[in-house]
Parts: sequence; structure tokens; C-alpha cells
Amino acid sequence: MKPSEIIDHPFAGAYAKRLGVKTPWQGHLPGPKMEAWRFTPLRTLANTPFVPASASAEVDVTELPRGVPLIAGAARLVLVNGAYREDLSDADFGPGVTISTAEAFASSSRSPLALLNAAYASAGVSIDAAGPGLRPIHLVSIGAAGAEPAAFHPRLRITVAPGASLTIIESHVGLPGQTYFSNPVTEIALAENANLRRYVSVAEDSEAFHLATATISIAAGGSLEAFHLGLGGALVRQDITVRFAGRGAAARLNGAYALSGRSHHDFTTVMDHNVPDCRSSQVFKGVADGDSHGVFQGRIHVARDAQKTDARQLHKALFLSRGPEIDCKPELEIYADDVQCAHGAATGEIDHDQLFYLMSRGIDPATARSLLVEGFLTEAVDEISVPEVQALFRDAIGAWLKSRDIARARP
Amino acid sequence: MALLEIKNLHASVAGKEILKGITLSVEPGAVHAIMGPNGTGKSTLSNVIAGREGYDVTQGEVLLDGKNVLAMSPDERARAGIFLAFQYPVEIPGVTTSAFLKTALNAKRRAEGKTEVDAMEFLKLVKAKTAALGMPYDMIKRALNVGFSGGEKKRAEVLQMTLLEPRLAILDETDSGLDIDALKVVSDGVNALRAPDRAFLVITHYQRLLDYIVPDHVHVLAHGRIAASGGKDLALELEAEGYAKYLDTAA
Repeated sequence: MKPSEIIDHPFAGAYAKRLGVKTPWQGHLPGPKMEAWRFTPLRTLANTPFVPASASAEVDVTELPRGVPLIAGAARLVLVNGAYREDLSDADFGPGVTISTAEAFASSSRSPLALLNAAYASAGVSIDAAGPGLRPIHLVSIGAAGAEPAAFHPRLRITVAPGASLTIIESHVGLPGQTYFSNPVTEIALAENANLRRYVSVAEDSEAFHLATATISIAAGGSLEAFHLGLGGALVRQDITVRFAGRGAAARLNGAYALSGRSHHDFTTVMDHNVPDCRSSQVFKGVADGDSHGVFQGRIHVARDAQKTDARQLHKALFLSRGPEIDCKPELEIYADDVQCAHGAATGEIDHDQLFYLMSRGIDPATARSLLVEGFLTEAVDEISVPEVQALFRDAIGAWLKSRDIARARP
Repeated sequence: MALLEIKNLHASVAGKEILKGITLSVEPGAVHAIMGPNGTGKSTLSNVIAGREGYDVTQGEVLLDGKNVLAMSPDERARAGIFLAFQYPVEIPGVTTSAFLKTALNAKRRAEGKTEVDAMEFLKLVKAKTAALGMPYDMIKRALNVGFSGGEKKRAEVLQMTLLEPRLAILDETDSGLDIDALKVVSDGVNALRAPDRAFLVITHYQRLLDYIVPDHVHVLAHGRIAASGGKDLALELEAEGYAKYLDTAA
């Protein structure tokens, strides 16, 4: 998006800042009166005095933070405060993958946060993949604020050429005890018959903000398999839009979240069926403890010409105590008549019959609850088709469970 | 000392009294059958002993090896040696049978002051037990009871019982939903567990199961009380004559 296109938008002011004029962006964040942001208030974000995060030199990050897995066989690409860090990244991404940093490229999203990103992002990182036998990529985005709260705006573009198949794992983390705001925008284009597996883990520090906007367009015959894991952060939103651009395209968009403390996670998805013969399925499962807040907003849009669309969506959540709030808002907008669309939502507590069954075998209540929660989330993680990643995400959930006392959360 | 001692047990569900004074003493090594028509409190009795919530004991005692069972949580009761084979085993999605069995087995071993079994020992143990029950070993890789047939679920219950080696096993309508072949396999599994230091409470509506698991004592439960007790012949008599006379006299 060019500055001239958004000149009437409040963030035009932010664009001005890029040119050297100081304009506060925090007065222009979406508010609770905007339907899409009703469940995710940005007051705290607006009231935190952020400075632009330092891109490289002064940031003392020489190794990956704890908890970031080393993924055998994957080429590592590290961003610190949104900027590509060659020194922490692998030098060789293997044949067929080109990494380039460029001046911020256009994004198709016009969401306020994407515009904010457009205004502030310094350089974008492009991953262009083509050809067979591509090496998986492990993208690690690290937030490192320093003494003052810092904001950064990673900008990513991923293209997968016709017939090519790429796997990317993203770990979004931060240095402990720091307040930062990560506002990534990801633009993904899958060409005809291209295939992308994208596994995103957001485990930001407990004081961190993370508002991500991703737009994925899939050409004819292309397919996306995505999994989004939400484990940490004060305020996290993963905004994912999938646009079907050609016949026979398919998307599986799944996710899981496990929330504690005052953590807030929002998954907002849009499945935009504009052409016939495409399939989309979504399975999101979450558990919430403490005073946390989980949000799932899933919109399925089927245009009049998008006949033979098959679109499914399921969100299930468990309360682990009386404190959390979970909001679920499925939206189906269907204008075609020959389609199969289904959505389901269920929110409840741990099943008493299941709990009794486990306890009747001598398993103490805390362990029984842990097993049930793990089993509940595992069902979603099982949707991941790469066994190594499945194990990785399962371990991350296991570690989350260990860090909590589920027993104390007994209602 | 009796292994299980039930003294004047009264219990109600949602304010309605279901058990109205049950007294029963079970010696080690014995198999007691509890028979009776539907709705007389057979399942309530098993649930009260196992500690399911929603049942209020208003009077009486349940002692296992002289210890007050009613003061224990369900998991404590299980570790003390009570095992309830469920009429309807609960499906636990996402939890593999193997992970569940290992957790349960080690919980019991810890309680007994034994070392936990490691992965290798565990697999060896389960391999032997599943083979003895005619179960495919791969079954333990599946989510617990999820998608199991009626017969598979009951076999899985017996597998758990075999691994946990309880002092007192309660079989709640274990024969329901089983065809004759599955019934035989399950019964063989139970019979193999009969031991001088172990007792069974076999709860059933039909006499059929007792052809395979032959009881030492048979009790008729009617209107929340034990209306009659006898040897294994009592079961045959019930099969021939029905429960009508107990319902009439107890009413």
C-alpha cells in the first residue's frame, strides 16, 4: 500500500512520522466500538509509552532465548525487534530458497494494525521458495526492549512458486521481563499447486503485546496447512485471512491455546471463498485458567460464485477455573447455494465423568486434570502433519501444564 | 478380618434415598454376586464404594481392611485397592491408553512405596497382559476407550484390573453389551485374577455372567436392601422365577 492510498486514514499521520514528523499512533488504535475489536480492548497498549525498538547494534542478543527449540534440518532465520539478524541466522537456506531484505513491500491488509506496520516497518524480509526438496525454515522473532517499552513492526513476505512445497516454523518470543509490542504483518502468496505448511508458536513474555496480521492467498490447486499455538503474552492477537484465488485450493487452519494469569489471546480468522471448488477447515481448541481471556472469531465468507465450497470450523474451549473469560463468535456469510458449511462451538469445564474415571484408577486429581487438559489440546495438535513439529508443540503444551498447578484451579 | 465390611449403609441421590440399610461382609478370596432388578440400587452401591460424586451417604460405614473408605477421595480408594470396572467405561479423547495405564500403574506403585516402572518394563508387562486377554497390543496406542467397541471397552477394563491388581474388584454390569465370545474372554480374565487375598463384587442383572464367574455368595438387592442371600443356586432360582417375589415382599 502506497502512502497516497491511505492519506485519509488516521495512520497517514504515522506515515508522516516515518518522514520525520512525530505523530502519536496510539490515539488511533481500533476501539471497542469496532466490531472486530470488541473482545480485545487495546487500552493498555494505547497507554504504554513505547519508543521505537532498536533494530540491531545496541541490542544485546547473542543467542536464542530459552525455550526456543533447535529444529534439526531446518534453516534458522532470526529477527530481533523485527530486523533480520544475519549474525544469528543460518547462512545457507539450501537450494530454492531466497532470503532478501527490502524496503517495506505492499500488504493487502487494510486493518489498522497492518497500516501501523506499513507506517513504521523499516525493512521487510522476503522468503521466496521455488523448486523441489526445500529445506524447512525456522523463523525466530525475538523482542528485546531494553529499559523502556519498545515497539517494532516485522514485515514478512513468503512466496511459494508453482508446484513447490515449503515448511516454515515460527517462534515468537522475547527476552524475559521486558515490555515490547510486536506488530508483525505477513503476506503469503501460494502459486498454482504450491503447498505451504506454516506452524506458528506465540510464546511471548508475560508483559508483551503481539498483534499479528497474516494474509494468505492461494492460487488454483494450492494448499495451506497452518497451526497456530498461543501460549504466552499479555495481549496477543493472531489475525489470519485466507483468500482462495483459484479453483481446487485448500486450507487447513488449526490452532490451540493455553492461557494463564492475565494473558489475553485472540484468534481472528477469515476464510474468504471467492472461487468455486475450494475447501477450508478449522479446528481451534483452548484452555483458560487464572484471569485470562480467550477469543475466537471465525468468519467464513462464501461468494455467490463460489459453488461447491466445503468450509468447516470448530472451536472448543475449557475453563480451568472460574476466573477466565472466553468469547467465541462464528460468522457465516454464505451467498452461494451449492455449498457445504458447518461450524461448531463448545465451551465448558473439565468433564466430571472423565475426571472420576481417571481418579478411580488411582490417579490424583491434579495429574488427572493435567492428563485431560493435555488430551484435549493434543486432539488439535494431532492435526499437524509433520511428526517433529507435532512433538515440539506437544512438548510446549506439556511444559505449560507443568508450570501450573491445575489442581488449585479446581472450581 | 473381612476384606470389605458394609454396615447399615444408607445413601441418597438428589435427596432421594436409594440404599436403605445395606449390610454385607466380604471375606478375602470370595466372589459375591449382587443381583436385582433395574433401579434397586445396584449401581448406586458400586458408585458409593468407588466414591463417585453426587451420592450422599446419610448413614452407615464402608470399611476396606478395616479402614474407613468413605473418608477417602476416589483416587485414595483406588490406591487402597478398590477397583470399579465401569458399566460404561468413559472415553478420554487425546489420552492414549498406554499413557493412562502407565500413570495409573505408577501412582499405585508410588503409594505402595515401590519404584516406578520404566518405559521398557511397562511395555513388556502390557504386552504380556494384552496377549493373555487376546487383545491386540496396538490397542494401547489408541485414545482411551475412544471408538472402542463394547467388547473392547470391557476387555480394556479387565486389562486395567489385571495391571492394578486390586484388593477388591467391583464389576458393574460387566456383561451388558457383550456377546457370548466377549463374555467368555472377559470372564476368563476375571477368573485368572481370583486369588486368596482378593475379593470380587459382581453386580449383574442376569444370571448368565455367573455361569462363567461362579460366585460363592449371591445376594438379591431389592428396594435398596438385601432381600435374600444364598449360594450360587440362588442365581439359578432367580433366573427361573424372576425377581417378583422380592419386590412384593420388600415393598
